Formats: sequence, C-alpha cells, structure tokens
Amino acid sequence: MTNAQPIRVRVRFAKDGDLRFTGHLDLQRLFERALRRSGLPLRYSQGFNPKVRLNLASALPLGFSSEAELLDFWLDEALETAEIQQRLSAALPADIQIRQVEFVPNQLPSLQSSLRTSEYRVSFKPAVETRVIKEKLSQLLLQDNIPFTRRAKTVDLRQLLLSAYWRETSAGDELILEMKSTPEASGRPDELLNLLGLEPGTYQVCRTALIFSTDKVEIDG
Amino acid sequence: MDELQKSTIDSRLESILFQVEKPGRYVGGEHNQVRKPWDSVETHVALVFPDIYDLGQPNLGLAILYDILNQQPEVLAERAFAPWVDMEAQLRENALPLFSLESKTPLNKFDIFGFTLPYEQIYTNVLNILDLAGIPLLASERGAEHPLVIAGGQACYNPEPMTNFIDAFAIGEGEELILDITRAYQDWKRCGGAREELLKALARIPGVYVPSFYEVAYHEDGTISHVFPWMQGCAIPVRKRIVAKLPQPITRFLVPNVETVHDRISVEIMRGCTRGCRFCHAGMVNRPVREREPEEILQAMQAGLDATGYEQVGLLSLSSSDHTRILELIRSVYEKFKDTRVQVNLPSLRIASFSVDLMDELKDLRPGGGFTLAPEAATERMRAIINKPLDEEIILETARTIFEHGWLSLKLYFMIGLPQETMEDVQAILDLARKIKGIGKSMKGNRVRIHLGIATFIPKPHTPFQWYSIEDAQSLQAKIDLLKDGTRKSDIKMTYNPPDSTLLESWLSRGDRRLGPVILQAWKNGAKLDAWTERFDLAAWLSAFETCGVDPDFYTRRQRGLDEILPWDHISTGVSKRFLLTDLRLSLAGKTREDCRENCFNCGILDAYGSLKPSKEEVYWGCP
Repeated sequence: MTNAQPIRVRVRFAKDGDLRFTGHLDLQRLFERALRRSGLPLRYSQGFNPKVRLNLASALPLGFSSEAELLDFWLDEALETAEIQQRLSAALPADIQIRQVEFVPNQLPSLQSSLRTSEYRVSFKPAVETRVIKEKLSQLLLQDNIPFTRRAKTVDLRQLLLSAYWRETSAGDELILEMKSTPEASGRPDELLNLLGLEPGTYQVCRTALIFSTDKVEIDG
Repeated sequence: MDELQKSTIDSRLESILFQVEKPGRYVGGEHNQVRKPWDSVETHVALVFPDIYDLGQPNLGLAILYDILNQQPEVLAERAFAPWVDMEAQLRENALPLFSLESKTPLNKFDIFGFTLPYEQIYTNVLNILDLAGIPLLASERGAEHPLVIAGGQACYNPEPMTNFIDAFAIGEGEELILDITRAYQDWKRCGGAREELLKALARIPGVYVPSFYEVAYHEDGTISHVFPWMQGCAIPVRKRIVAKLPQPITRFLVPNVETVHDRISVEIMRGCTRGCRFCHAGMVNRPVREREPEEILQAMQAGLDATGYEQVGLLSLSSSDHTRILELIRSVYEKFKDTRVQVNLPSLRIASFSVDLMDELKDLRPGGGFTLAPEAATERMRAIINKPLDEEIILETARTIFEHGWLSLKLYFMIGLPQETMEDVQAILDLARKIKGIGKSMKGNRVRIHLGIATFIPKPHTPFQWYSIEDAQSLQAKIDLLKDGTRKSDIKMTYNPPDSTLLESWLSRGDRRLGPVILQAWKNGAKLDAWTERFDLAAWLSAFETCGVDPDFYTRRQRGLDEILPWDHISTGVSKRFLLTDLRLSLAGKTREDCRENCFNCGILDAYGSLKPSKEEVYWGCP
C-alpha cells in the first residue's frame, strides 16, 4: 500500500478567532492531531520516527487571521474531496474553516518553495486616525530604503513591500498590502505598521491571498 | 471591576493578547473543551491550577475533575490558570479581572473556586489569583456574595499553612468528594442561608476540612499544645477520602492549541504503592494500592487516542513494575498498537532486570531516549535506612541489561541529605555512577552517557521521616560540591537543586498556621511563580518571616519531638502515627520492611478502609 503513489491533497482554509494566537509550529501539531482524529488514510513520512506528512505554505504571524492559508498533506488512497472536507472539518476546531479541498500533482514543487507574495488587509480600531496613518505611509514610501531591525538584523522593508493601497469601506479605511513571501525574504505588515507608530492591538491583519510562482495567470475580459 | 460588560472584557482582552508572550495560553478553545451556556446550569465551578497553563493543563487531577463536574447536567466547570508576569501586568494595567478560559467569565462570577494544589511552591499564586479575581484573600473576610474557595491535591495533606486563605479543603481522592461538595453547595444555595451554614454543611462531609472550625493552641516553645474542633459535627482527625475502585479512566482529554509540558494522554494503571520507601510522601499518602484491569486500560488508551489525535500515552503509577498483571498488560499493549505509530511511556520502573524486559516487550512502541533508574541512595546501609533494599549487584546487573538491550543513555536519581547520611554515602553515589559508566563503556564504548539527578531530601509529613530536620545548607552544599567535582572529572552529567531553592518547599510542606501571614507578606513582597527557578526570590521570603516575627528554622532545622503534636496530625491518611513511629525506629536500627503485599505490617489502612475493600474478583487491592 505504502509503495503506491501517494495522493496529494491541497486544502485552503481560513483561520480566525482565538486560534489567531496559535503559532505556526503549534498549528502544524494541531493539523497532525486533527488529521489523525479524522481517520483519513494518511501517508506518513519514512524513517525512524514517522510523522504525518503535511506541509503548510507559510507561517502566519501570531495574532493575524487569514482567509487564504494552504496546507498540503498526503493520503494512501483517494477519497472524494467532499468526504475529505467533511471528515477533516469535523475534526478541526471551529476557528479553522475549510474553504476548498483539491488534489494536486505530486510533482508540483512544495508550497513554501513556490510561494512568492502574500496579500494582507489591515483594518483599524475606531480610535486610530487613518488620515494620519495615510500621510505617514506616503512619506515612508518616498524613501528608497526603510530599515527595520528584526532580531538584531536590519532588513529593508521597502524591498519587501510590493504594493500598498487604501480601500474605503463602511467600517472605515482598510489598508491593502502586498508583501514578498519567499523562504529567503518575507515581509511582515506589523513591522511596517510599527514604523507608522501603530501599537499591536490597535489594528487587525488578515491574510487575504497567497500568490505562487506556479499560479496560472488568469486574463479575463 | 464587578460591573464590566462581557463585550468590554472581550475588546480589552483582544488588545492585550497582542502584548503578551504565548497568548494562546489564555484563550482556551481546545478540542474537547466543554462549553455550556452559563444560564443553563445551577452551579458554576472554576477549576484553578495555580501555575501557568503550560504546566497546569496536562495535570491529570484537573482533567479528571473537569470531566466529572461537566458530566453533571446542573454544573459547569471552566478552567483558569495563573497568568505569566507579562499577562498579569496587562490585566492590572487594564483593570481586567482574571477570567476563565472557556467563556472568558470573570472568576468572581463563579460559585465555587476549586484550587488544585499538587505542590507547595504555588501557594503565593493562589493569593495572586484571588487578588486578580477581586476576591478577598482571607477566608474570614469573604461573605455570601463571594465564591466558596476550596482546595485539594497532594499538598493538602498538610493544609495548615494555607488555612487563612481556603474555606474548605478536600482531603484525599476527589472523584466522589467533589460531587458531595457541589451537592452540599447546591442545597445551601437553594435555602439561601448564611455562609457559616454552608461551611457547617461541608464540615459534615467525610474528607472535608473546614479550618476555621478548628482551634490550634501553642506551648511557650512554639510547639502545638492542642488542636480541637470547636464547631459541632467536625471530625478529628479528618480522614482522607478514597475510592474503593478507581473509576473508569477519562478519555476526552483536552488537546491544547499551544505546546505544554506533556503533549500526550495519561492512563493511571494503579494508585498507591506497597513498597514503603520511608522518604516517599506519595507512597504513604496514596495507600491502599488499587489496580486497574488491563482490559480497561487498553480500552481507555484506544478511546483516548481516538478522541485526541495524540500518538503518545503515559501509563502512570508510582511503581509500574509492581502491577500484578503488568507483563500481560504490556504484551497486550504491544499487540494492540504494534501496527500504529503510538508511543508508550512506562515511567516509575523498579530496579530489576524484569523492568528492562518490560520495556523490551514494548519494542518499537517505546519512545526514544534513555532509561531511568532511581536507587535514591548508593550504599546498602543508606538503602536500609530509607527502606529501599537492593543489592548493589542488582543495580549493576540491571544497568548491564539496559546497555545490553541497546540503551546508551542512563539517568540515575539519588537523594542527598537523607537521615544519617555521611560523606562516604555521597562519595558512594559517585563511585556507583562511575562503576555503571565503566560497565556501559566496556559494552558500548564512548557513546554511553550517564546523567545523575540529585534531589535534596525533605522530610515530608505523614512519612516515617516526618520528625527529622533538614540538613543545613552548608553541609548540603559540601555534598553537592563533592558530586559536582567528581562528575565533572568523570564526564558524567549532573543536575541538582541548589539548597536555597528547596527551602521554600521545606517550610511550606512542614509548616503550621503561623505561616499564613508569612505567605501573605511574601506575596506582598512580590513573591509569586516561586516554582520557577528564575522567579524564586528567597529575599522576599526571608523578609516576610522577619516582618511576621516567625523563625523559619523552627520548621526546618529542628528535630521534632516524638511526642510533639505535629501540625498535620489532625489530618489522617489512614496510615497511623504508631506505624510511622515503628518504621522510624526500624530505620534507626537499619532494618527494612519489604513490600507489604504479602506480609501486612498493619499500617492502619485496613483499619480505616477495610470495610470498603471489594472482593478480589472485583478489583485488586494491594492489601492482603
């Protein structure tokens, strides 16, 4: 059985609520356990200490919610995607909602290695004057370099920020950020917001999209 | 703080969670968490483990009570833990009360606070939690509008140091007792009496100790002259509760969303121990031995793994090799789980080749890592004194078997500061460790690793050593230095507790009511999270003793008189003081009393609980 080609399953899920405070490694463990509870025929890694084979696209910073996380895992046998979705949903906490389940070819590169960009939506607490933030951000974007100290290392946020624009909604202004997300360099919205003088807790960040090198470019009329 | 709206709490909480380390500790939401609508039940119990989530959540006692209480349709139980310092600062700064994890309800809205007290170094956290919940710290200052504050757990066999703060103690095993307490609470609440009426009703329940109903008086020299209950209907002594048969093991374990100290399920295979090691508190207070049947254990393992998605099980007991059907159990565990990736921990194994065989029977279900043995003392003389008789040849033979079976790392636990211990006995620890290392090296070469774990002996209440004093810090330090020096030269790893850090456990485990004000003052001086080495502040404690005019040495550096009334004498574990005294005398004579399963030494358990003893077919009790 284990010699047969494994079935690669890709799950798109949203994460919010209290689970925002569960970090990347803990989320990985959470999925391992939920997958086991689901009773799906999981493929395990080889070796002395076999683990459920699973792969999360990208670490979501603590406190962020997301509408667009991706997980790959492997099955020993194929089932209907609807059944996979149903069994996995039943085993997951309510703060994770599965949006889509699909099979993908085994030869596709790993999610992490093909991830290029993350898109984030930032919304602000009523107390935050977005007019001031807008101004500060425009000033900041005029600079060629935006140095930021991250764990004793200086990174240039300007290089990591691909685009920033504002969107007006009934709930107030939202900031849409596109940031580089590769294994070598990854932008964090909270660092940029920190430079704008915003304390954590005064805004909420939701990851709205993950963009991969393998994504097909869709041109629609 | 009282009138804070739930929505205000939620929104303030939302912003402070971004300011603290590991916020997942404070939000609950685990798989198998129980949520009941607040208004759907009559009684709300907050189960509080007074240390941080990471340590408290895996506690089996807490899990059992949570399960039992939430099975009652008219009760809900939610959890709370001590916040870490950063979270505490945020709560205070934002005027937020400490809240339960499930519904984020402020703790002072609960009817009953149930503190789990497995060890003494968390006493100041109890005060801190009461304070953060906005509840008067002193039991005497609480009224009908405040929650009932109860406590239970292994530390409560000497409840005296905490009597100022706790309304009622649950002594002994909680499985049945907790329901008796909640029922008494409900009856009282329905009638709407004064708080004293509630305490009176509780005091009538076997196993409940209401300290305010007991008076303690002292001689001029500071020893106790008498303890008596002034309220009618209060037992003296208060005898611990036990369950005649261990109830079905719990299986719906909560699965934390953040890492904790033990990410696995636990199944208790046996309670109690018949070995009678004289230093061992657990071995004395948890009698009699009651076993679970292998079938029940296997079912619980399967159900627990299915319910959680965990792949690790701990099979818990005080002496696993002593379970009468252990070999059969381990073989069936292997048969049942051999085609899975489940790992089975089997701690607390006796020093015998049989234990190595047992681990071997687990084959690939055995987790990686080393083997652990606990000789506790390194000379046959010392082992006779502590009643852990073992020929050195058996220790060496067991070590040989361990290496032969492929282990390369061996951890050895010893104690220092034991009664009548000399430097030669300490030197013998080194010699034995080196001998074992030599055996390993000759069999497996340089890959062999020996790790010495050195604990400082603290004479614990309700043990045959309860009268002894604690060795002074200087001579303990000399012993540690000898071991440190010797292990460094022999490339043996060693871990130990600095003498200072064991002082707190010594005072609090052996203390009386006069420590209440000291604990309060120490907390005011900033002592909290004392079990965390980096947080422990000896100066805060010493200054508290001084402020209160209490001499700390009175509790630790004084050999207690054999005729003295000890602070915990009015709490009975079922093991009689006469038995402990006889055992002390035997120890002084270097005589041992081996395993009491075959030969009853009349410790008192059968006098106290013999009438509960079921038939052998129903459940195995260690008492003959």
